[in-house]
Amino acid sequence: MEGIILESVSKTFRHRPALFNWLGREQRGETRALTSVSLTVSAGTVLVLLGPNGSGKTTLLKLVSTMLLPDHGWISVNGADTRKQAGKVRQNVGFAVVTERSFFPRLTARENLEFFAALDDVARKCRKQQVETILQQVGLSHAADRLVMKFSSGMWQRLGIARALLKNPSVILLDEPTRSLDPGSATQFFDLVRTLAAQGAAVILATHSFQEALAVGDFVAVLDHGRLSAFRSLSALQQEEKLRSFYFESTGDFEESAQLVSRGA
Amino acid sequence: MTLGSLIDKTIAILRRDLLIAVRYRSGFVITAAGSLAQLAAFYYLARAVGPSFRPDGLDYFPFVLVGTGLFSFLISGMNSFVQIVQEAQQAGTLEILMSTSTPGPVLLFLSALSALTGHTLRLLFYLGAGLFLFGVSARTLNIASCLTILGLSIMSAMSIGIVAAAVQLAIHKGSAVLWLFSSASWLTTGALFPLTALPGPVRAVAQWIPLTHSLQGMRSALLQGARLPSLLPEISVLALFSLVLLPSSLWLFSWTLRRARLQGTLSYY
Repeated sequence: MEGIILESVSKTFRHRPALFNWLGREQRGETRALTSVSLTVSAGTVLVLLGPNGSGKTTLLKLVSTMLLPDHGWISVNGADTRKQAGKVRQNVGFAVVTERSFFPRLTARENLEFFAALDDVARKCRKQQVETILQQVGLSHAADRLVMKFSSGMWQRLGIARALLKNPSVILLDEPTRSLDPGSATQFFDLVRTLAAQGAAVILATHSFQEALAVGDFVAVLDHGRLSAFRSLSALQQEEKLRSFYFESTGDFEESAQLVSRGA
Repeated sequence: MTLGSLIDKTIAILRRDLLIAVRYRSGFVITAAGSLAQLAAFYYLARAVGPSFRPDGLDYFPFVLVGTGLFSFLISGMNSFVQIVQEAQQAGTLEILMSTSTPGPVLLFLSALSALTGHTLRLLFYLGAGLFLFGVSARTLNIASCLTILGLSIMSAMSIGIVAAAVQLAIHKGSAVLWLFSSASWLTTGALFPLTALPGPVRAVAQWIPLTHSLQGMRSALLQGARLPSLLPEISVLALFSLVLLPSSLWLFSWTLRRARLQGTLSYY
């Protein structure tokens, strides 16, 4: 099937203290990042992931991208299993990560993108044109030949989005893509995501912004402490206030939120 | 992966490394100055030792020139594998690089190949400067033997480098392991003095280190004009090391990479 399927996916991170732990206070333990999460994102749709910090949003994206492998359950990307056919999955997935530290600072934006395009098997004859088009799409044409170590946070973020789109992926993963973008650039970005979905891409976008969710999403999934606590079509939640209520109900923070509102916070 | 795609990726990696190296301009000058200073130190050490000391029938300066040059080259080559993983961990590029369509071991291999190109230029500069500036004769040089020993030495060094990269991926201390290995090898492989100066048990251990055979073979080929048949013992041992170590090390790296993906430690450093 085209798109993304997660079936009973669980992921736990185990912490082992250092060898001479009596020198510090590091604790042994484990973090259950995801517990038995099942969901489907069809081709041509945008799923928005909402959830508090540490709820498992980034872990879920990393699992789909094969950066991580699940402990239990399975994930399929366009019919390929992320465990057994990781190479095939990587050919189809573009991932815009939230971190700024994922480029070569002493290369220009164009050089960085050309390098990653080569690693991602973008055909040599159309590589330059592809890089040019993507730079234009994310509004970085004017800074294409600037060393990326001189970029602002927003420019890093746009470059990350550009890299994710380089190979025309059929699955796009976006981790807080507009966190550092100005409102104008964010609006342009929303249009770009809608266009990509209309062209048939399956998109998962993790965010904390209700406005962003409503602007781009077809469906919303709420993660809370690694569990999928709610899943709904966004057509039923057209207003920001409705989505906000839905989110706080799903995370169990509704009363707390209501108290804050009544206190005028 | 097709050959065309492999060449394309190799060019992309070489271009990236060249561009970064050019933008750290001072690096070239510092490296060249360091090599010349090291050569001068060994030259005057050889003069101080005097002409009567002839290890393996060679003058001491050429002996130490080839020994230190090749030793540093091979250790730097091994170190490049660790550095590639370490720098990517610290720069935050490792997760992204390992999620591209290029398999992790291939990416590591190509990146190290690019680094080795730089180290080869440095080795040529070091040996060239030693031979010409300090008047060492290389009239007996046997090119076929030199290239055979060099090729096999690089393969065995790559294997050790890939193991160290796997250690870096697993416990983030690959450079410490390699430092331990290089310190022990400095003593045991005969880079600075002949193996006959060492006690019997240490000499026996030295035979299990590929570098020992690389240094012996290269000195014979470069300074004594040894032909391939007479280098058969060194060639056989180095070929055996490469044959066993190279696939094992690639398997180990793939296994460690998969383990890091399972444990979620790929981005740790």
